[in-house]
Amino acid sequence: MSEVKYLTEFYHLNEFQGLEGYKKNGGYVQLQRAFKMKPAEIIEEVKKSGLRGRGGAGFATGVKWGFLPKNDEPRYLLCNADEGEPGTFKDRMMMERAPHQLIEGMIISAYAINCKKSYIYVRGEYDYPINCLVKAIKEAYSAGLLGKNILGSGFDHEMDIYAGAGAYIVGEETGMISSLEGLKGQPKLKPPFPAIQGYLRKPTIVNNVETLAAVKYIIRDGAQGYRKYGTEKSAGSKLFSLSGNIVKPGNYEVPLGYSLKDMIYGLGGGMKPGRKLKAVIPGGSSAPVLTAEEAERAALDYESLAGMGTMLGSGAIIVIDDSQCMVDMLGVLTHFYSHESCGQCTPCREGTGWLNKIVHSILEGRGRLQDIDLLLKVADNMKGRTICALAEAAALPVLSFVSKFRDEFEFFVREGRSKVKGTSYAQMHH
Amino acid sequence: MPKCTINGQEVEVKEGATIMEAFYKLNEGIAHYCYHPGLSVAGVCRLCIVDIEGNPRPQIACNTAVTEGMKVSNQGEKLKDGVKWVLDFHLINHPLDCPVCDQAGECGLQDQYMQYGKYSSEMAEPKVKKHKVVDLGPTIVLDSERCILCARCVRFTDEVSKTNELGLFNRGDRTEIGTFDGKPLDNNYSLNTVDICPVGALTSKDFRFRQRVWYLKDSESICTGCSTGCNVKVYYNKEGAFRVKPVYNEKVNGHWMCDVGRDVYKFVNREHRLLKGRVKQKGQATWTDMDAGALAKDAHKAIKAAGDKLAIVLTGQYSTHEYQLLLKNLPTKNVYHWKNQPEEWEKFDGLLYRGDKNPNTKGVEAAMNSNGIKSNWNDLLTAIKSGSVQTVLVAGPENMAVYNDMNEKIQELGAAQNVIWASACKSEDFDKLNTNAWLLPMKSYLEKEGSFINHQGLEQKFKKATTIVSEALTLGEASYLLSGQNIPVMKVAPIDTFIEADRRPDQVTLEHRKKNEFVYKRGSL
Repeated sequence: MSEVKYLTEFYHLNEFQGLEGYKKNGGYVQLQRAFKMKPAEIIEEVKKSGLRGRGGAGFATGVKWGFLPKNDEPRYLLCNADEGEPGTFKDRMMMERAPHQLIEGMIISAYAINCKKSYIYVRGEYDYPINCLVKAIKEAYSAGLLGKNILGSGFDHEMDIYAGAGAYIVGEETGMISSLEGLKGQPKLKPPFPAIQGYLRKPTIVNNVETLAAVKYIIRDGAQGYRKYGTEKSAGSKLFSLSGNIVKPGNYEVPLGYSLKDMIYGLGGGMKPGRKLKAVIPGGSSAPVLTAEEAERAALDYESLAGMGTMLGSGAIIVIDDSQCMVDMLGVLTHFYSHESCGQCTPCREGTGWLNKIVHSILEGRGRLQDIDLLLKVADNMKGRTICALAEAAALPVLSFVSKFRDEFEFFVREGRSKVKGTSYAQMHH
Repeated sequence: MPKCTINGQEVEVKEGATIMEAFYKLNEGIAHYCYHPGLSVAGVCRLCIVDIEGNPRPQIACNTAVTEGMKVSNQGEKLKDGVKWVLDFHLINHPLDCPVCDQAGECGLQDQYMQYGKYSSEMAEPKVKKHKVVDLGPTIVLDSERCILCARCVRFTDEVSKTNELGLFNRGDRTEIGTFDGKPLDNNYSLNTVDICPVGALTSKDFRFRQRVWYLKDSESICTGCSTGCNVKVYYNKEGAFRVKPVYNEKVNGHWMCDVGRDVYKFVNREHRLLKGRVKQKGQATWTDMDAGALAKDAHKAIKAAGDKLAIVLTGQYSTHEYQLLLKNLPTKNVYHWKNQPEEWEKFDGLLYRGDKNPNTKGVEAAMNSNGIKSNWNDLLTAIKSGSVQTVLVAGPENMAVYNDMNEKIQELGAAQNVIWASACKSEDFDKLNTNAWLLPMKSYLEKEGSFINHQGLEQKFKKATTIVSEALTLGEASYLLSGQNIPVMKVAPIDTFIEADRRPDQVTLEHRKKNEFVYKRGSL
């Protein structure tokens, strides 16, 4: 099995960016078909398709939609295009190459959940994707695909774009809702869940770009057709962002359940000459790291990776070869999380900062041997104790890095220099 | 009404109540900072984690609703260890400046650390530096390093005072509380944020550095700042009163009180008080000091001489009992109610503060009605002019700062031949009395017991807290002397004995109390 072209079928065509080219290649046909279905039928179809959230958590999309209250209360659809997870760049490509694919998926989803207003929350740094989306939405409005009485179906829908201000945490759905409301981007306490009380205290569904785009294909092929790819529990195809020490980094669409080894050595073109695989982070920087041996037997689907103690996350595969110092890498990650913690919950606010300070103490040669166990203790006491998953996202890499590459940490503490590079932190970076 | 089991004890709570409320109801100990019963739930301190049977992860008690048959525990060893760690996260960047911190002695962090703490911190890294001595507004100073970011104060300004001055700035461990540019924390309820601050981050400019809290005793009382009658706790020692804090009363003030009310205690202290009786004859320029009792007896002569030509002026600043005794001992129909700015009495700020600055206006009215007295202030003035009133006994205001017509009234009443003025405080305005005048020192509301009837008609009792001017009289005692009687020997109420069996867990033991009775009650969190 190799790469599939399912969502990305026409991504090589420049004309696919515009409305005309998109329509020429089968665009907005599924929207018309969806309007002939009952909203409940669409939700049922999405449930049956086994589509799971592509943003990271992997929650079943149809089930999420089913949580909405069954009344006429106004509700919102929010497209999560904040894509902040280090290593992830698939949504960016989808918005750049096929903005209409997302818009069509969103209109169908909005029709299914009877929502009159949706927002696309794009991270502020994505300047070009924002321009593409703005252009596409304008085209859609002038073609009558958005606004009142879309394609004569009697369904009204408005769509808007909101550019974020550069916080990782607003990729969390309630944080995104806070930010969209004009507040500081801090996750909200759950319950109530957004499907009951979200944006402006109204029921809100938050879905990832890739999830919403996939809805169109479920309408096209039906639930069974969509299950052509993937495994029983992880249905469909998924975009993976391959990066790190690899010959051919980039976005690859493969069916879920694809072998990680094939991904690295096949599609990714293998390691750079003379280098050996040391570790792989399989699902964005917050996923626990896999050793080379584990990576070679891993399959890219939600269950197998969970079985190995890590997660599929957003599908960002970061490949690490034997020239990398794991202590140095962890220093980058802990700095990122301590910088991005919103500062609301104490264990995360103080814990991320503490972890960062300990790792940097080790890096700068002030480390003590007990600091290594302390890292594990601090991380262990952060996870699962906070409102959102950021504490966990910060703790899991620490736990996995330290437990799987403990020798490198001990060497660094004892010698004050990297085991791999043989130099101190200052020499590594200057 | 779901029932649940908390640490093995069954409890029934209201529909939709949280586990935290069930803990409160049972008076079971649970660590927490950000939860406050008067504010919305933030769920950020993560200290109130509990084990719920059937739930793989500990949940926070403040945001988890009780369901029927729920079994909750916070006694598990693993959970206790988790709480210790969360507490340690609070402390790693908290400065160890307790010896110079104003909150020491009534600090939530200190208390809970002693109860739930890890005792040995493993933090070996430098602490985060934040802003110190931030001037938030006219009443409050912030120390950001001490702040544990429970956001109680932010929620208070959002939800209760609705002034939204405070916000959380920055992210991660650089987060700080602050105000927006050009919008200081300046509202009539700002000092409540100091009360709800569980640490010494927010301190009151009025109270900071004036006393260590373990040198203060406290006593519950009623605020006399306005007719709302907020329930308060007064903190005092032998040097006088130092501050006032609200006490929860669902029917009157909830959890809060206003900043105006917090300043009322100031007139009680000796520097503002009339320490001795003063007397002068018409034409004399200076006062002669006289003991209060002797002065009252001296004034009785003027009252006796006046006979029917006696008038009594009442202000709404004395207790209901005192009015009744006064009207019983000096039976006259010439009783007048001195109202300060009655046109503002109906004003109300929507939360607590009312335009009527007297705690017991309803009490005066009740006392006058029960004696069948109806009077008009102008009648008094004409009677003084015509000479049909010879002697005026004025139960003058305790808190003169809110009586902006003092001068005018002294002029008007000073036209009578004899003026007997009962007053708790001294004032230069009294020098303008150009007649036979007696100034009778009165006890303040902290020095006597009685009751006030607030604007709702709710009669609230208050206890004697302390004695500041021992020589002063209450209006009731004075009324006996002024009517020529002796003060009857009161039956002494039994002293509130300390019963070991009634001791709350947070109170010190009997032996400890004997050694140092200051350390009687710790401030509630």
